[in-house]
Amino acid sequence: MLASIIASGLATGAVYALIGITYNTMFATSRVMSFTAGQLGMLGGVFGSLFMVVWGLPSLVALPLALLGCAAVGVVTEFLAVRPVLKSLDKHLYVLSTLALALMIQQVTAIKWGTEPRPFPRLLDIGSGVLDEKFWLPVATCLLVIAALEYLYRRTLVGRAFIAIAEDNFAARALGLPERDLRIASYALAGAIGALAGFAGGELLLAFFANGPLLSFYGFVPVALGGLGNNRGAAIAGLALGLFQQAANFLVGGVFASVAVFSVFIVVLLAAPQGLLGAAAARRV
Amino acid sequence: MAISRRDVLLGGAGVLGAMASGLPRPALAQSEPVRIGWLAAMTGPSSAPAIGFDRGVHVAANEINAAGGVNGRPIEIITRDTQGDPTKAVNATQEMISQLKVHAVWGPTNSGESLAVSPIMARGRMPNLHPCVIDSLIDPVKFPNAFRLAPSNTQWDDAVRNYCLKILKVNKVAVFGDTTGYGVTAANASVDGLKKDGADVVYRANIDATQPDMTPDMLRAKNAGAEAIVCWSTSTGMDARLFNTRAAMGWDVPFVGHPSMSSGEIGKLVAKPANWEKVYAVGYRSCSYDTAGKLPAHTQELIDRIKGKVELGDTLLWWVAGGYDAITLFAKAIIASGGTDSQGIVKYLNGLDKYPGYFGTYTFTEKQHNGYPTEDVVMSVASSARDGTFALAPGYS
Repeated sequence: MLASIIASGLATGAVYALIGITYNTMFATSRVMSFTAGQLGMLGGVFGSLFMVVWGLPSLVALPLALLGCAAVGVVTEFLAVRPVLKSLDKHLYVLSTLALALMIQQVTAIKWGTEPRPFPRLLDIGSGVLDEKFWLPVATCLLVIAALEYLYRRTLVGRAFIAIAEDNFAARALGLPERDLRIASYALAGAIGALAGFAGGELLLAFFANGPLLSFYGFVPVALGGLGNNRGAAIAGLALGLFQQAANFLVGGVFASVAVFSVFIVVLLAAPQGLLGAAAARRV
Repeated sequence: MAISRRDVLLGGAGVLGAMASGLPRPALAQSEPVRIGWLAAMTGPSSAPAIGFDRGVHVAANEINAAGGVNGRPIEIITRDTQGDPTKAVNATQEMISQLKVHAVWGPTNSGESLAVSPIMARGRMPNLHPCVIDSLIDPVKFPNAFRLAPSNTQWDDAVRNYCLKILKVNKVAVFGDTTGYGVTAANASVDGLKKDGADVVYRANIDATQPDMTPDMLRAKNAGAEAIVCWSTSTGMDARLFNTRAAMGWDVPFVGHPSMSSGEIGKLVAKPANWEKVYAVGYRSCSYDTAGKLPAHTQELIDRIKGKVELGDTLLWWVAGGYDAITLFAKAIIASGGTDSQGIVKYLNGLDKYPGYFGTYTFTEKQHNGYPTEDVVMSVASSARDGTFALAPGYS
């Protein structure tokens, strides 16, 4: 039972963590919490199944296509749901615009793809039992994404430009950084990360239109617990969330597991409102 | 006596009024089509049943019209796509009653829509046949014009319980439902029924259908000593995950329950075909083949007649047969009552005794508008689909 809790908990936790990182990547350059993050994860699974099962493409071709497809959806999000409301961030209109776009994505997927879950093929066909690839693939992908983002943000000029915009948008623009282009790029990057979450977790979650709200919901928890904008915090909180949720599933059952998860979530936020690894926001005086 | 201009105008208006209101009507009524409204969720999330029913509806209408119609009047099927949306179903119902002036309505095909339109049909005194399973949809006092052409949820539950207790002869049962309103209600009713019949419900759970791993609940059911699992969910994803988990646990407990467990989608979602064995879903005797692969003769006659005209490979036979039965029943009601008056149609249906339809043998009375015989609700081998029919589950004769 313990092995099952760990394997399944880490796998779902890694998917939540990747969605949390998707939230963070979009937030970094726009200060917008885009609720399309979960839909990008859902689309990763749907695109993967479409390309591999329906079109019969090999996984090495399907993966880049899924990443491209979700990156395009990320860019569309920036154009349609984020850019028009950036001038009035204090009114939080982005909640409405990104939620509306998320609903549209879900409805279009339901109509075009169908409302029944559809199979996602085995990618590498390695492992069985608790060592099955459906458990370790999301974890490996999560670690890989964190390492790649660390490299991007710390070792490349583009990554540093992302951080500059995240730190101080006005100062970065004053220095001549192309803020709008970088924001579009960050939304494309977020789309690709969301696609990876859905693709790596496809064997676990299947290609199912209703995964979107689930991922948006549980992917938000690591962001809040780990600290807004903190990818390492999101990863740790996501994995912890998955383990706790799966343990609660075993101990108290499915419906009560959600209650247990959100009870702990509220208690943690009461104790540390800025998240476990987040810094307290400085107030300008 | 002098005839004034006013007298001429009044007289003329009277003649015109008489012509418009009364005189030509009998001739028109005898030749106008019999309009049957068909509330069908032809698109949207729950469109599969309506697409199947629709095939039967049109086969029946075409056959009746080719044979000269109903008392010489052709049948006109007026379809409105409700998309499974109760609001659209309400609008379509109101349009059918007040603008299209239909004579009877078949549908809707899902309970959510039917809950919304049944009071409207009752107010409009519209004869209504539908195949929706929620028990409260049939109430001869509240909805005196509504008749159910398919089993109710209670009849499904009876069939599942009887199969577990009398044929599988198990006593320790686990009951699963999903977390939707339907899943919770159906699981509660199932637990109550099993306990009432002396079964030991060793474990019960409502499971989120999107939960990726079903091991926790399956493990608890196994540890509790379950000898059969009764499952009430419309989610094929949840069903397939449960079957895969059972195989991974090396457990051969039988699953018994909701018809969704026999959906073709599950064949694509299980890790291997063997994982779908020992799964028994609600089915119907009329649409089940025996160990020799033979369907009942009456059903085979329908299949032989519609072969080549109707695609059966991608639907369920009971949907096609149910749609066929609905239209032929309305036609017989109009012939028997001598017209399209709603009270005449309802009176005929209230006296229907063992009418041999293709989907079932229907009986209605003034106090019982559930027309499908409980004994014809049986369990099917879930993985045995063949042209919309299923193999009878082991244990039936």
